[in-house]
Amino acid sequence: MTSTTHWSTPSRCPLIQLCYIRLAVQLPQQAAAFATDILGLQHVPNDLEPFLYRSDGRYYTLCFATGAEKPSIGIEIADTQELDRIADALGKDGFRAREATEDQCAQRFVRRALIVEDATGNEIDLVLRPALSGRRYFPSRDAGITGLQGVGLRSRAMKDDLKLWTTILGARITDRVGEITYLGIDRMHHRVVLYPSDRAGLVYVSYGVESLDALMQNNYFAEERQINILHGPGREPVSGQMFVRLAGPESYVFSYGYGLAEVEPDHRPRQFTLEASSLCEWGSQCVDIAELQPALAG
Amino acid sequence: MIELKDLSYVRFGTSNLEDAESFATKCLGLQVGEQSGKALYLRSDDRAHTLCYFEGDPTEQTVGFEVEDEARLNAAAATLDQLGHPVHAGTPSECGLRKVKAFIGFKDPTGNHIELVVRPERSGKRYFASRDAGITGFSHVGLFTTDPARDELFWTQVCNARVSDRIGDVALMRVNAIHHTIALAPGPRSGVHHVNHQVESNDDVLRSYYHLSGQRVPIVFGPGRHPTSGARFLYFRGPDGMVFEYSIGVDEIEDEETHRPRQFGFEPSSFCMWGSKRNW
Repeated sequence: MTSTTHWSTPSRCPLIQLCYIRLAVQLPQQAAAFATDILGLQHVPNDLEPFLYRSDGRYYTLCFATGAEKPSIGIEIADTQELDRIADALGKDGFRAREATEDQCAQRFVRRALIVEDATGNEIDLVLRPALSGRRYFPSRDAGITGLQGVGLRSRAMKDDLKLWTTILGARITDRVGEITYLGIDRMHHRVVLYPSDRAGLVYVSYGVESLDALMQNNYFAEERQINILHGPGREPVSGQMFVRLAGPESYVFSYGYGLAEVEPDHRPRQFTLEASSLCEWGSQCVDIAELQPALAG
Repeated sequence: MIELKDLSYVRFGTSNLEDAESFATKCLGLQVGEQSGKALYLRSDDRAHTLCYFEGDPTEQTVGFEVEDEARLNAAAATLDQLGHPVHAGTPSECGLRKVKAFIGFKDPTGNHIELVVRPERSGKRYFASRDAGITGFSHVGLFTTDPARDELFWTQVCNARVSDRIGDVALMRVNAIHHTIALAPGPRSGVHHVNHQVESNDDVLRSYYHLSGQRVPIVFGPGRHPTSGARFLYFRGPDGMVFEYSIGVDEIEDEETHRPRQFGFEPSSFCMWGSKRNW
């Protein structure tokens, strides 16, 4: 994940990677079955979190947290100095942030965490030294997953949420569809997408797969098991990413993606028209997710 | 041996020429090359036509293959005659209807109408599609067979086709480097099983899936991927029940000398490696 590309402003993004998603769930057993039997992730036996899953070389990228009130996403920060600088900036701009306790850090498998709330109310953990695993990833089924790839977040305060992501955290806007905003932190087109909404939460959690074959095999695999396909198979014209979005447990949406483009260092954010073909160039229409239905979105 | 150089055209009778034109232009996306009285000539590439609908019985289905020249056409006629296949030599007016210099017609062992043609016409005007389906050309046909082993022998022993792969006893055969030009399909009767056009990209296959679904065209198989040829595909139904296919990424057989046909089991995953189910 080392980048040879250096952005002009800011000089270097302090965000290293999207490292995990913690989902608050009521019925973890059902969510667990979905994670392994459908998504194909590998369960991680451990003493702290019974519902922990791997998708790549990292210790975990998905946790079903029975005690949590709302979902959160984990973002790795480059180093202590950056985290301290960010903590200061957050305080000055009135964002809520609290240092995680030792137990909270242990549950997240990180050495330090700053638990931040964006203007919408989404929880974002800014973490140091998230754990990797020495053992290679061994999936529970042949879904071709290559790793946690991105997340879609709802935003009801786009201006302030963008201030958090860009000015304070150093992510950069790569493209927009209407007010839907794609944010990059590394060479890839995006890792986080903010969707205008009237509430907080995740629009989807996206796992990358190794090929178009894997994507389409997962599509038919889900269809055969009567998993509701909410969007796709489709292709985002802004990022080149092909996707299938599935209805997961407790209204969470999981997405398989393949073909996410890299952006050039001199890329300027493009503005796409807010219409269905800007979200899927193949012509798929999203059902059930208002944020992905341009006729309904703001 | 009869040396087939390439596929040339398909000719279909139809009871409703207007419906056929509407489907061919609005759904399939071909270009009307010429409409003369009771026949509609459709283009898919730089040839003057690759699909012809004519007023007639929909069971009248003919596939045309190009051979090198008239000497080889005459030799082919003699070969077929010797083997007991009645041969019809095309009259000048029949040649005109097919836009070829000369042709002969015969039936393969199943009873499929086959024509061998010489000098099929090309067009100086470039192909301009009626809709943005991304078609790059007419590429192969599926032919029904009542006896796959017998028909494989006909196409490979009497003609120059080579088996690229088999699914069960069903042969996918090539006449040039392209993985297959003739795909046999077991069935109770003769006729064309499907007509394939190649498209530019995988995106075109998926775009057409949504476009045709929106036009209420029955999708009968796919989007999917054949493990044999590697092609991503979409099959859908057109006028008179005929099935059309778009595909992209058909492998080429690079080494003609050393290629050995692979044997695939006769099971769904041999037809689609993605898991789509055939619905016809």
